[in-house]
Amino acid sequence: MKHASLPALLLLAAICHAQQPPGNAKLPFVYTRWKQFTKADGLPNEHIFAVKSDGPRIWVGTEGGLAVIDKKTGKVKSWTEKDGLPWRVVSGIDINHKTGEVWLALFGGGLARFSGGRFDHWTQMNSGLVNDVAYGVAVENDNVWVATTAGASRLNTVSGEWTVFTEKNAPMEEIWNYGVHYGDGKVHLAVWGSGVLEFDVATSRWKDYLDPDGEMEIDLYRDDGIVHVITTGADYVDKVLWVSTYFGVCRYDGRNWRGFYNQDSGLPSDFNNNLRARSGNEAWFATDKGAGAVMDAASNTWVAYTRDPRSSAGKAVVTRDKAVIETVEMGLNLPHNYVVSMDVDGNDVFVGTSKGLAWGIGDGYYAGLKERPRQLSRVGGGAR
Amino acid sequence: MRRAVLWMPLLLCAQQQPYPPIGPDHSPDTREVLRRINAAGPNEVPDLRLKQEHNYAGTSTDVEPYGGVKPYKEHFLKQMEYTGPGRAEPEPVDVKTVRIGFIGPIQSTVSIATGGKSHEEALGRKMLEGAQLAIEQANARGGYVKRGIPFELDVVNDNGLWGSTGNEVVSMAYKRPVWAILGTIDSANSHIAIRVALKAEILMMNSGDTDPTFIETNIPWTARSIGDDRQQGYLLVDYMIRKQNYRRIAIIRSSNRYGRFGVREIRDSARRLGRPIVMEMAYKVGSSDFSLQLERLREASPDAVVHWGDARESALVLNQMRKLGMNQPYFTSDRSVSPEFTGLAGANAAGVISGYPWNPDRKDPHLDQFRRAFRTRFKEEPETFAAHAYDGMNILLWAVNNAGLNRAKIRDLVATRAKPWPGITGDIPFSSVLDDMGDVFLARFDKDRWTYHSREELQIPRGSVPTRERVNRQLEGVK
Repeated sequence: MKHASLPALLLLAAICHAQQPPGNAKLPFVYTRWKQFTKADGLPNEHIFAVKSDGPRIWVGTEGGLAVIDKKTGKVKSWTEKDGLPWRVVSGIDINHKTGEVWLALFGGGLARFSGGRFDHWTQMNSGLVNDVAYGVAVENDNVWVATTAGASRLNTVSGEWTVFTEKNAPMEEIWNYGVHYGDGKVHLAVWGSGVLEFDVATSRWKDYLDPDGEMEIDLYRDDGIVHVITTGADYVDKVLWVSTYFGVCRYDGRNWRGFYNQDSGLPSDFNNNLRARSGNEAWFATDKGAGAVMDAASNTWVAYTRDPRSSAGKAVVTRDKAVIETVEMGLNLPHNYVVSMDVDGNDVFVGTSKGLAWGIGDGYYAGLKERPRQLSRVGGGAR
Repeated sequence: MRRAVLWMPLLLCAQQQPYPPIGPDHSPDTREVLRRINAAGPNEVPDLRLKQEHNYAGTSTDVEPYGGVKPYKEHFLKQMEYTGPGRAEPEPVDVKTVRIGFIGPIQSTVSIATGGKSHEEALGRKMLEGAQLAIEQANARGGYVKRGIPFELDVVNDNGLWGSTGNEVVSMAYKRPVWAILGTIDSANSHIAIRVALKAEILMMNSGDTDPTFIETNIPWTARSIGDDRQQGYLLVDYMIRKQNYRRIAIIRSSNRYGRFGVREIRDSARRLGRPIVMEMAYKVGSSDFSLQLERLREASPDAVVHWGDARESALVLNQMRKLGMNQPYFTSDRSVSPEFTGLAGANAAGVISGYPWNPDRKDPHLDQFRRAFRTRFKEEPETFAAHAYDGMNILLWAVNNAGLNRAKIRDLVATRAKPWPGITGDIPFSSVLDDMGDVFLARFDKDRWTYHSREELQIPRGSVPTRERVNRQLEGVK
């Protein structure tokens, strides 16, 4: 046996230290209990464009229909076009908690409302919906906002009045809307080519957030604003704005921006399809290489969930400033590493992938960091 | 030695394949890509040896944005990969034809850009003819080689009104499924199209939109078979400033996205070279009277004027400039290289220089063969939109024939192509973002014809193109 070089020994020591260090440390909660739902469980399609947890049920929007999962029994009920769903591709879901209505963004099919077992349908040919290629939907009080490829539309569900927002009446440099979210009195639109637009419901005033360097091919400074003008999602929680893009993600607390890239954080990939924020300190990102959760933004502490593509095993890697501080191996977590959609509800998380849905059960969840022993290298399991 | 002997028949077969080489590709590069794809499990991402570049778009150091600052991050250097499960989809057995989508402006309609009549049908129809010829030739050679069934072109008009491009791509992805799509021309519509293509996971090959931002989106489902306005802009700037030493350049352009983004690299590069554009004026597409803009331009006393817009407006601007006594050299975009421009401009067209994405005067038997076939089929001469569509469609046909009926694998073959596509418009080497990085040219109109000139032929200087990433090299110093 040849002598190992000093750098190799140091690297080995670092790996051992990272994976099985003794003693307690300030660590985030790691989801180790996961359930998966695929076509075998009754989903109409496994490409999960949208997921929305609503109390005892989980609504699932797929490339081939709508489904709802009973959390208690795990039973799946689904709807396709044969069952009255106006169009098969469900790209966004939101719930009006006042009425119980389920609102659906249909990718190429407009907007639908599911209520009382009936689907109602709005398109650009029969309503004020500006385009049928709808990427997202959000309920704001009595209004329903739809992010479409040709602007945003707002339906007042009481009066039936539609309002269309394009470059003519909103600060959209481009009108290619992607995501829409309502929270804390503000509607946020993530717009491909136009950053994030914020609509203050109380004042009806717009504010825009753009990449300050104005260049497509670089990010001049990490923390000077939105990391890129092509945005895919925006969430506003605890008066903190979280933004996902195909170039990285970022956070804005009203005073300071912070960008996160794969090169400097635990974000699994810079290609982010969507996000869901749990708080001003925690947000989950749907990347093409796994689910990334910044669990403590202040300390740049992340947990990245991925599955081993060659087996039914998964793992969670805890990092701080990119350095691995814990690796937790587990049973199957995500059905696939290509993550498309995300939701957070109570202690649980829901991860929509291109091969099924994962439900992370957050028994014992705690926010932020807590002093705890590092977990054993293999825990839990993927229950089906 | 033995291995070399075994490869010989395959190499000979590859060499003997008729042009265009859309049939079975036995090159080691393509075989290796397919081997890697097919060896990967259903949840695995194959190691496709992603392209890694050290400089974006051949940009010289003195025109890089914020050249005095080391950026935190550079995008577009490492190739995007598709990490989804699409490669595991089995090839369907019940198809009668292999459908390829085409979307382009082919019917007159209302235009958002003009607020009236649309304006790009002449270009779109040529694009369609180029695509049709490629499909028909492929079918004459037996169609989809694996099954011997024909290719079928699914043609839709790119109306563009109220985002209809998105609706059409949704239809091609889900309702009348196609395996890949060629289109379109309008840059706003192109962005709408690729947003759908990305979600539906289908490759879009673009052969007519020269907007630099089209491929600056970091998504793995787009490619382009035409040199863009960034490359043409760099060449024009190098000619105007580095060679001709013009100090005061003015711009007049259309107010639509084509004009807005077309001049962006010219404007930025001129400023970074210390010759900021003295004035930039915009006009509405379809305008006929440019006196307001030209009076302002004249007051700025430019050494040269750059126009970016359609052929008709380009000619009218030029004519009205000359009428006002403005005799500055006139530079335009590639759309002016057309009979419409020269017909309207008449004698004023003499000396006009345009950026151009290829050299139609190139001596190439395949180009001659294409021209003959096009004339036979359509009773007219092919032009640039037809030629680029022909190349773009042939790349798709090559990918389908070799990858099989699987959208992800079709994407993979185009994305990982190691050698430039031998197009009739010239070699098409794809960059990390799958943009056509082939040579662009300057077209000059003299003696009733356009002639095409390379950078080398005109001895146009260029700045230093770095071989290391910005984040890994010394700053050149604040300009």
